[in-house]
Amino acid sequence: MRTSKIDTTVVSSPLPALLTGIASLIIPGLGQVLSNQARRGLLMLASLGTMVGILITRIFAIGQEYFVDGFGPSLAKTFERYTFFAIIMVLSLLFLYLWFALDAYRLAKYKKKQGNLGFFVVLLGFFTLGYQLSEIDLVRMVQNFPDASRRMSRVMWPWEAAFEYDEERIEAEAEILISEAGDLPPIPVEVEGEAYISVDPRFGTLGAVDDQYNQVPGSEITVTGRGFTPNTFTEIYWVDDAGTEFRPRTAGDYVSATTDDNGAFELTMTLPFDDTPSTRSGPLYNRVIARQTFQVGGARFSDELNLILELMLETIFMGMMATIFGIIFSIPVSFLAARNIMGGSRLGLAVYYFTRTILNIIRSIEPLIWAVIAVVWVGIGTPFAGIIALTIHSVAALGKLYSEAIEGIDHGPIEAIQATGANQIQTIMFAVIPQMISPLVSFSIYRWDINVRMSTIIGMVGGGGIGFIVVQFIRLGLYQQAGIAVWFIAITVALLDYVSAEIRNRFM
Amino acid sequence: MLEIKHLSKTYDDGTEALKDVSFRVEKGEFLVIIGLSGSGKSTLLRCINRLVDPTSGEILLNGENVATAEGQNLRVFRRRMGMIFQHFNLVKRSSVLTNVLSGRLGYTNPWASLTGRFSQEDRKKASAALKRVGLEIQTNKRADELSGGQQQRVGIARALMQEPDLILADEPVASLDPVLAHSIMGYLENLNKEEGMTVLCSLHYLDLVQRYATRVIGLRDGRLVYNGTGEDIRKITDEEFKEIYGEDAQRVGAAGGVA
Repeated sequence: MRTSKIDTTVVSSPLPALLTGIASLIIPGLGQVLSNQARRGLLMLASLGTMVGILITRIFAIGQEYFVDGFGPSLAKTFERYTFFAIIMVLSLLFLYLWFALDAYRLAKYKKKQGNLGFFVVLLGFFTLGYQLSEIDLVRMVQNFPDASRRMSRVMWPWEAAFEYDEERIEAEAEILISEAGDLPPIPVEVEGEAYISVDPRFGTLGAVDDQYNQVPGSEITVTGRGFTPNTFTEIYWVDDAGTEFRPRTAGDYVSATTDDNGAFELTMTLPFDDTPSTRSGPLYNRVIARQTFQVGGARFSDELNLILELMLETIFMGMMATIFGIIFSIPVSFLAARNIMGGSRLGLAVYYFTRTILNIIRSIEPLIWAVIAVVWVGIGTPFAGIIALTIHSVAALGKLYSEAIEGIDHGPIEAIQATGANQIQTIMFAVIPQMISPLVSFSIYRWDINVRMSTIIGMVGGGGIGFIVVQFIRLGLYQQAGIAVWFIAITVALLDYVSAEIRNRFM
Repeated sequence: MLEIKHLSKTYDDGTEALKDVSFRVEKGEFLVIIGLSGSGKSTLLRCINRLVDPTSGEILLNGENVATAEGQNLRVFRRRMGMIFQHFNLVKRSSVLTNVLSGRLGYTNPWASLTGRFSQEDRKKASAALKRVGLEIQTNKRADELSGGQQQRVGIARALMQEPDLILADEPVASLDPVLAHSIMGYLENLNKEEGMTVLCSLHYLDLVQRYATRVIGLRDGRLVYNGTGEDIRKITDEEFKEIYGEDAQRVGAAGGVA
């Protein structure tokens, strides 16, 4: 009869089955240890211990989140706020606790190795902990999607912000009294052939928040305009008593109108909210502006686009300079890290191991970290900081690659060239360099590729280049401008990828 | 023209590759060196052009000692001896032409060759050499684009560029199939008979030895154990065979060969 390996392994358990089971109830895994299954027992104790430990810290953290002290109240909060999580954790811990005891009992009773299926519950427990700990929130992900996709679409197709036009405006304004006391502002004088608006009434109250934190909307006014360009979109602007101009909204949409055939319009709007209640006393007047904007002349690059182009160029050159410096410094280093060059003597071998170790350490630290260090060194925002960071990393990476190329040199051709009567220089020229050039070029181009890609994000930690402005644009909510930068990064990286692959193919 | 006197070579790791080897080679001979792998054939050939420095002994080329030559003297000795390798040892990424031209390096001013250029005369010689080995249409190909047999012919052309008195061939056909082996050996025989170049060649297969050699020496564990004419090798006895290849060796077929 064929049996699996697990079943046939006999366990020597000196104690009665019931005793080992109870031992595992007292300390999980103890029964297994007593049955000479120390590794299994310790694994059980360790997995249960870590799970309980992490769970307790999570419970306290959740308690803190909801401003309750002590374990009991925190546990209650956890059950209240994260019911599903709490139930799964309690159930799996309970299951494991009992399974470990049962396992110990069966081990001693049947004197055979037991199955490992229960450990899947350990995995489940850790997955549940991880899910809660990393704040995965699928509901929020779905809820926020419409808003996010609106912003994303501005990033994806940002070209409106890439161009600017000269504008010509036709506008007219009217004053409105917004304080309780004061004279009504004069009615604007209408001049034939010029844009004109009037408001009715010429007083109103701004939207505000009352003592109960309820929003009280502003009063309504009617805006009448004449003498504008016919059949044209007209925007309404508001100027508050501090002189700040903004576009008021009614029910979420900007207030606007389209003029009729005679260049006239009439609209009703609600007065905007008073964000910063004025401390000035006396009569307060706000102004309403109706404005038509016309683009005149051709499109030109917007300031942001010019800035992005400039920084993109800076970024490419940053990557290039770092690569050049990297190549220059890594060639001598690579000889020190090549076994076939340094392996001759004990000292050489020591240098070889030392160089290798240093290169490995430098390489394992990300360029972004080096950039943070370099920024402290030469100052924030300068591409020089990025160049230093990328150079350090390039020397380590190229040093290793070059040294492997040197180690890979075929000795045969060197021998053959020596045999023709060539001297040292000629041998290097005709046998060593031709073998080195292809991997050298290939690795260097590849590194340039990596460096430009890295330099696009090194700005995010202040190392210069385009990364800085991307972060800045996103923080300011300028998604289109950020989008332009992202587009340029993508285009540059893709182009470079293609070019470097082409060059490498040619040299391979 | 070549006289080897008491030549010994002990490598750094203690391996005694050659032990007191002495023999003479007359001008125009086709001398074949036979012996098992590791018997010292390669070391012997490499000692003669000093790719390996002998531990003791003399190598006299027309009476001048190669074993102690240094610098420019060594260069001049080396360029008089063309070498052909088992694995061709071409610079794979360089063109066929460059590989052949590099045979002239022993004649070129080292500083001039930094530019990678060769004289018009050298280029003419190169195309003549390539024509001679039947590769004139492959001139601009990269060396690793050629087949094994073609690569070895480039190796021969490179050796020819040295206009050597002596050709050292280290297992020139061991990496090639039997048909190509005869073709390559044919080129060597041609140089030997028509140009009067002396050839020193190590070989594995006894039938090739019997076909091409005018004289044969046998090495075993670094010692010279056989020295005979081409006639002698064609009538080699089992005792002599076992002396060279060891007690366990078997002669295969009528033509001979080593199992």
